[in-house]
Amino acid sequence: MRAALRRSNHQFHQTLQPLNPAVVTPSRPDSHSRTMRDDPDPPFLSERRSQSKPGCPARTPDIEKKYVHRIYDAIAPHFSSTRFAKWPKVAAFLKSLPRGCLVLDAGCGNGKYLGLNPECCFIGCDISPPLIRICADKDHEVLVADAVNLPYRTGFGDAAISIAVLHHLSTEGRRRRAIEELVRVVKRGGLVLITVWAVEQEDKSLVSKWTPLVDKFAEEWIGPGSPRCRSPSSLSLESIPEMDSAASTENLALGEGLGGFGGGKGGKDQQEYFVPWHLPYHRAEIGGTSRGALESGLAKRDEKKRAVVYNRYYHVFEEGELERLVSDMDNVAVVDRFFDKSNWCIILEKTG
Amino acid sequence: MRLLTHNMLSSNIKGVANGFPLRIVAEKVIEKPVEMNHDFLKNMFAKLDWKAFVDASRSLGYVELPDEADASMLESSEFLNKFHHALLELHLEEGALVCPETGRKFPVNKGIPNMLLHEDEV
Repeated sequence: MRAALRRSNHQFHQTLQPLNPAVVTPSRPDSHSRTMRDDPDPPFLSERRSQSKPGCPARTPDIEKKYVHRIYDAIAPHFSSTRFAKWPKVAAFLKSLPRGCLVLDAGCGNGKYLGLNPECCFIGCDISPPLIRICADKDHEVLVADAVNLPYRTGFGDAAISIAVLHHLSTEGRRRRAIEELVRVVKRGGLVLITVWAVEQEDKSLVSKWTPLVDKFAEEWIGPGSPRCRSPSSLSLESIPEMDSAASTENLALGEGLGGFGGGKGGKDQQEYFVPWHLPYHRAEIGGTSRGALESGLAKRDEKKRAVVYNRYYHVFEEGELERLVSDMDNVAVVDRFFDKSNWCIILEKTG
Repeated sequence: MRLLTHNMLSSNIKGVANGFPLRIVAEKVIEKPVEMNHDFLKNMFAKLDWKAFVDASRSLGYVELPDEADASMLESSEFLNKFHHALLELHLEEGALVCPETGRKFPVNKGIPNMLLHEDEV
């Protein structure tokens, strides 16, 4: 049985299309796989994935290794030093849990939510060893593990949270699998809180600083072989515009006629982005990670800002997308869903 | 790594049918005192695989836990103290966790287990 969806906390009022599968066009990367668990890849990934292991969402695609895992490893201390504000909604969820709960945080980052309810016990995991090291130094109980493939027994946790994690997964199959894992590892009746970045950002100027990932980029960056030699006119990583408006025309041009991601700069259908992270020179270990990243082209310099710029991969979620991902899970009820500070959030209950 | 965590961890290597419990190779064990939370202990008692827990505690050199336990023992403060200590205060600081089926070793360094799989294990 699926509990009725409560919208009481749904504070986001904007002229968004309501979730309606009938209006989802086939060109959207994920729409076709709504009911097809085994064919989760957006078009730009299918070629690559068919060369590795098709139909295995647990396997990490190169785009995530390169533009998520390596980035967080490289920026971990700086990232952590900027990540101390706790979202009130997450805090409220954790504080609402009964005394004596075991809470599992999958993708805990620098561990800012671990221990937030001192009456509960927390175990965190993250795929980034440097971030987990930071958690351990704060005496949190943590391990290095992949949220898409949790090395946990089934039903051991009382509650689980996934805060700002799913938007780093590059296929619908992997996003769904991560949710299935969260549900699997909690007991029946256990709650799962998931938050993800929304397409509908409250600060529109933020989105203009992101680089939309259109098919052509993706093909070049994650495709087999040299990432930059597919076509002479292609943009190399160094030339990917990060925020200047002059470059957006170029993006637009690239997006045209490619379909798939809808082209365009930050258009309504655009959900795949590179989001810059500025690592100030004084924070960058120029002799270490950042130097390597600069040499390999993973990062670039912004002399004006005196920072090393890394691009992180994001799949931002549209309204109703989280619900859609769980719609065919028969042991899950949606207890609540809401929009909070440019994030879509959902609370699930494991019902079976 | 606490024994609480050890009791939850399971090898998820592709093809492994029963990855629990992971065998512990202990090189360094430390103790960190924490406050007792009775509700948590009661809650976890119902979930723990007791045998795996006792075996794990012994592999860390702690031999105070009884082979078998039932919920009535939670009334005894002596039992609770031992249970609490083994579950939350003992830490495997250096060593490894070994998959019971494949023998694959997951390293534990500075108290952190690394459970990441290699590409061909997924």
